[in-house]
Amino acid sequence: MKSFLKSVVFTLCILGFFVFVCLYVTGLSGGGGGGGGATGISPEAGEKIYWGDGQCHTCHSIGTSGSATRGPNQEGLAARAEERAKEAGLSSGLEYLVESIVNPSAFVVEGYDNIMPKVYDAPIMLDREQIQAVLTYLQTLGGESNIEAVAKFAEKIPEASGEAVAPWLPPIDVDIKEGELVFFDESRGVTCSKCHVLNGKGSKVGPDLTGIGAVQTPEYLIESVLKPSEIIVKGFETMYLMTTEGMAYNGLLVSQDEDEIVLMVDEDGVMEEYVFYPDEIAQMQKQEVSIMPGNFRDMLTTKEFYGVIMFLLSQK
Amino acid sequence: MNSKKLNFKIVFTIFLALFLVALTVNTGMAEEGAEETVAVEASGDAGEVAEAEEEVASVPYEEAEYRNFFGIDGRLIVWIISQLHLLFAAFVLAVPLFVVIIEAIGAKSNQIKFDNLARELTKLLSTAFATTAALGGLLAFALYGLYPGFMRYMTDVFHPYMFVYALCFFGEVFFLYAYYYSWDLLRTGTGKWVHVFLGVMLNVFGTTLMMLANSWATFMMAPAGIDMKTGAILDRGAAFHNFLWMPVNIHRIIANVAFGGFVVGAYAAVKFMGSKTEEDKAHYDWMGYIGNFIGLAAFIPLPFAGYYLGREIYSASPVMGNIMMGGAFSWTFIIQAILIGMMFVGGNYYLWNGMARIKGAERYTPYIKYINIVIFFCFAVWLTPHNLPLSGEERALIGEQYHPFSKFFGVMAAKNAVVNLLILSTFFSFLLYRRANKGQTMPFKSHGNGAKITMVFTVGITIAYLAWYAMGLKGQDLSEVVKPYMSPLLTCITIQIIALICALFLTLANKGKLAQTLLFVVAASISVVYFWYYGFVLMEKANMVLRFLSVTQVSIVISTLIVNTVIDVFLFKNAKEVGGIQWGKIPNRAQYALLLLCVAIVTLMGLMGFIRSGLRMNWHIYGYMQDKSAGAFTPSIAYMGWVVSLIVFLFLALVAVVFWLGSLYGRKEKHV
Repeated sequence: MKSFLKSVVFTLCILGFFVFVCLYVTGLSGGGGGGGGATGISPEAGEKIYWGDGQCHTCHSIGTSGSATRGPNQEGLAARAEERAKEAGLSSGLEYLVESIVNPSAFVVEGYDNIMPKVYDAPIMLDREQIQAVLTYLQTLGGESNIEAVAKFAEKIPEASGEAVAPWLPPIDVDIKEGELVFFDESRGVTCSKCHVLNGKGSKVGPDLTGIGAVQTPEYLIESVLKPSEIIVKGFETMYLMTTEGMAYNGLLVSQDEDEIVLMVDEDGVMEEYVFYPDEIAQMQKQEVSIMPGNFRDMLTTKEFYGVIMFLLSQK
Repeated sequence: MNSKKLNFKIVFTIFLALFLVALTVNTGMAEEGAEETVAVEASGDAGEVAEAEEEVASVPYEEAEYRNFFGIDGRLIVWIISQLHLLFAAFVLAVPLFVVIIEAIGAKSNQIKFDNLARELTKLLSTAFATTAALGGLLAFALYGLYPGFMRYMTDVFHPYMFVYALCFFGEVFFLYAYYYSWDLLRTGTGKWVHVFLGVMLNVFGTTLMMLANSWATFMMAPAGIDMKTGAILDRGAAFHNFLWMPVNIHRIIANVAFGGFVVGAYAAVKFMGSKTEEDKAHYDWMGYIGNFIGLAAFIPLPFAGYYLGREIYSASPVMGNIMMGGAFSWTFIIQAILIGMMFVGGNYYLWNGMARIKGAERYTPYIKYINIVIFFCFAVWLTPHNLPLSGEERALIGEQYHPFSKFFGVMAAKNAVVNLLILSTFFSFLLYRRANKGQTMPFKSHGNGAKITMVFTVGITIAYLAWYAMGLKGQDLSEVVKPYMSPLLTCITIQIIALICALFLTLANKGKLAQTLLFVVAASISVVYFWYYGFVLMEKANMVLRFLSVTQVSIVISTLIVNTVIDVFLFKNAKEVGGIQWGKIPNRAQYALLLLCVAIVTLMGLMGFIRSGLRMNWHIYGYMQDKSAGAFTPSIAYMGWVVSLIVFLFLALVAVVFWLGSLYGRKEKHV
C-alpha cells in the first residue's frame, strides 16, 4: 500500500508539472491566439487578422516578424505591388493585391508554389470586411493605408462561401429614432454627442462616429459602450499629468509641442481645455483607462442602450 | 497511520477542488463566455418579456443540433469520455499484439515464464475490456445525445460500416474470451498453436475495429466522397478510405503498442515495489523490462510515423497543416517535445539502471554520461521555440525580433536533426544494454547459411527501399531553379547505400562491430550534422525541397537501425556470457522511471488527441459542416492542460481499480 501511495504521489507530481508547463506556455504564447477581437476596416484590425484568423502568417513573414517561408516575405509589399501592377498592366498596386487575394493563382511569385488558398472559401472563410481590413494593413507595408480606396474594391471581393450569416438583431425590439434621440439628448448629464461628432453634429473630444456602422460590428460597439477601456482608439488615449505644484489631471491630449501641452479635461461633465507649460509639468504618462465613462449600463435602460447601438449601426 | 490517511484525503480533495475551479473559471472558458454575459446582462428585462411570450405561444417541434450535459459544456463531456475510451481501447488493442508474440516465443523456446507472462497480461486485458466497451457505449450515447445534428449526418454517411463495426466487436469479444479461457485446454502440442491462432484472430478483429473507427475520425479531418457544398454522399467508399485514414492507422497501431508496453511496465513497477519475496521481485522486474522493451521498441519508429502523418495532414489541407505547425497549435508541439524528451530520458535511465543487475555491464557504464549529455542536448534543442518571446527591452537590445543564436534551434531543420540523433542515441543505449553481459562473440560464419541469407536479405531490402525513394526524388516535377537542390539528397542516399554494402561485407568477414560503427558514423554525419546545415540552406533558397530532406533523413536512420539490429543479433548469438542477469536486483528508483514513462505516454496521447481534434478548429467536418455550438472555440493551452491531466488521472485511477479487481481472482486461486 505504501509503495502504491508513493506511486500516486509521483504520478500527481508529473501531472502537476504538465499543468505547470501548460500554464507557462499559455503565458508565453499570449493565451488562445487567433484573431479574435479584430473588427472593422482598419490597418489595426487587418494586422490582427493577418496574424490570427486569416492565418496569412503561417506562409508569409514580414521582415523579421514570423518564420514562415512558404510564401514571399511581405516586407515592403505595397511598393513592390506598384511595380508588379505596372508589369501586369493593372491600374494600381492595390488592384494587384486585391487580385492576388481574390484569385491567388493569378500572380504566383517565381520560386514559390501555387499553394495559396482562397481565403474567402472554407476553411478560412474571411468575410469581405476582414479581407478589406487585411488589404489596408498590407498597404502599410511600404506605403500608406487608404481605406476609401480599398472600399472601392469591395464588390470585387467575394463574400465568404459559407452559409449566409443572419444580420445582427438586438434581443428586444428597439426604435432607431429613439436611439438617435438618446445620442443627441443634451438634457442628460452625459450624452454621446458631447464627445463624439456624427454627421457634423457634436464635439470632437472622442473619435468621429460618422459612417461607423459601415466599418464596425455590433459586438465591437456594444463592448465600446459598456467597456470603453477595452479598446482605446489610437490618438484617444488618456493622459495623466502632474504639475510641479502637485495638481493631477486626467484628460485627452489635444496638442503637444516644445512650448506647451494642451489637455482636454472633463470638469463635471463639461470638457475644458487646459494649457500646461513644460516647466510646470512634473510627470506625464499614458493611461490604460479611457476617459469615456464606464457606467452607461446604469445610465441607459436596455431599450435605450440597444436603440443607440442600432442607430450607430445604421450610420453607413 | 490515521493522520497519514487524513492528509492523503485532504490532498486529494484539494486536488479535485482545484480541477473543478480551473475548469469553471479558466481563461479558455471564461473569455469565451464573457461576451455572452455582457449581452445577457444588458438584455436582462428583455429576456424576461421574451420568456413570458414563449409560454403563451405554441412552440413548433425543432430538431436540436446541440445539447449540454446537465449544464456542463457538451464538448467537455465528449472530450473526456472519448479520450478515456481511446486510452482503454489503445491498451486493449495493443496488449494482444505483443501477448501473442510473447506466447509464441514461449511455445517455440519451451520457456514457461513467457507463457505465464502472456497469460498474466491477458488477465489484465479481459478486465480492461469490459471497461473499454462500457466507455464506448457511453461515448456513443454522449455523441448522439449532445451532438445530434452532427451524428445524424455521420450516421447517414457511415451507417453500413457501423454494422460492420458491431460485427467486429462481437468477433473480438468471442476471440478474447476464447483465447483467455482456453489457455489450459490448449496448453500443449498442436493445441498451443491453435491457441496462438485464436490470439492472432483476436488481433485481426481488434485492429479492424480500430481502423473502422479511425475512418470516422479522419473523415472529419479530411472529408472525401461527399459534395462539400451540399453534403450529398457521392462515394461512401471514398469517405471511408479518406486521405488521412492510413497514416492515422499506422501511427495509432505503433503508438498503441508503445502505450501498451509502458502501461504494462508501470503495472510491473508498482507490483515490484510492493513485492515481499525475491521470487516476486524477479518476476516483476523481468515483466517491467519486457514492458519497457516493447514500449521503447515501438516508441523509436513512432516519430517517423508521426512525421508521415503530419506530412499527409499538410498534403490534405495546407491550411490545417499550417494551423498545426505554424499557427494556433505550434506551442502544443513544444509541450509534446517536453513529454517525448521526458520519455527518452526515462527510457534510457531505466536501461542504465537495469545494467546494475548485469555482471559485466561495468565495461560500458563510462559511455553513459556521454549519451546522457547528447540526450539532454537534443531535449533542449527540441523544446526551443523559434519565436522565443522577448520583452521590448530585450528586442531593442538584440536589434531583431528573434534571439540571434537560439532561433537556429527552433526551426524544423534543427528539430529534425536532433530527433534523429535522439533515436540513434537511444538505440545505441539499447545495444550497450544488450551486450552488457556478453563477452567474446562467435564468428559470423559459425551461424551458418541462414545468417548469411538473413543479412543479405535485410541489406537488400533496405537498399531497395532507398533506391526506390531516390528514383522517386529524381522523377519529381520541379522547376529548374529548385531542381539542383535535390542533388545533395541523392548523393547522401548513394553514400548510405555504399555504407550498407560495406557493412554487409564487413559483417560477412567477421567484423560486425566495425560494420555497426561505420553505419552509425555515416548516419549521424549525414542525417544529423550535414542535414542540419543543409536544412537551413533549403529554408532560405528552396523551401519546397525541405519535405524531401526530412524523409531522406528518416530513411537513412531507419536503414541504419534495421541493419545494425540484425548485425547485433548475430554478433551476440551464442556469445560467451560474462555473468548472468540477476532479475530483481534493480534499484527502486528505476521503477519510478517506468512510472514516468507510463504517465508521460498517457499524457502525450491526451495531448495528441487534443491536437488532432483541435486542428479542425470550428468545424465538425472540416470544410463542410461548421461547429456552431457554444464550444466551437479552441480552448487555451492552460485549459487543455487541466482537462488532459484530469483525463490522465481518471484513466490511471480506473486502470488501478480494474487491475486490482483482476488480481482478486488470482489471490483466490492461490488460497485454494
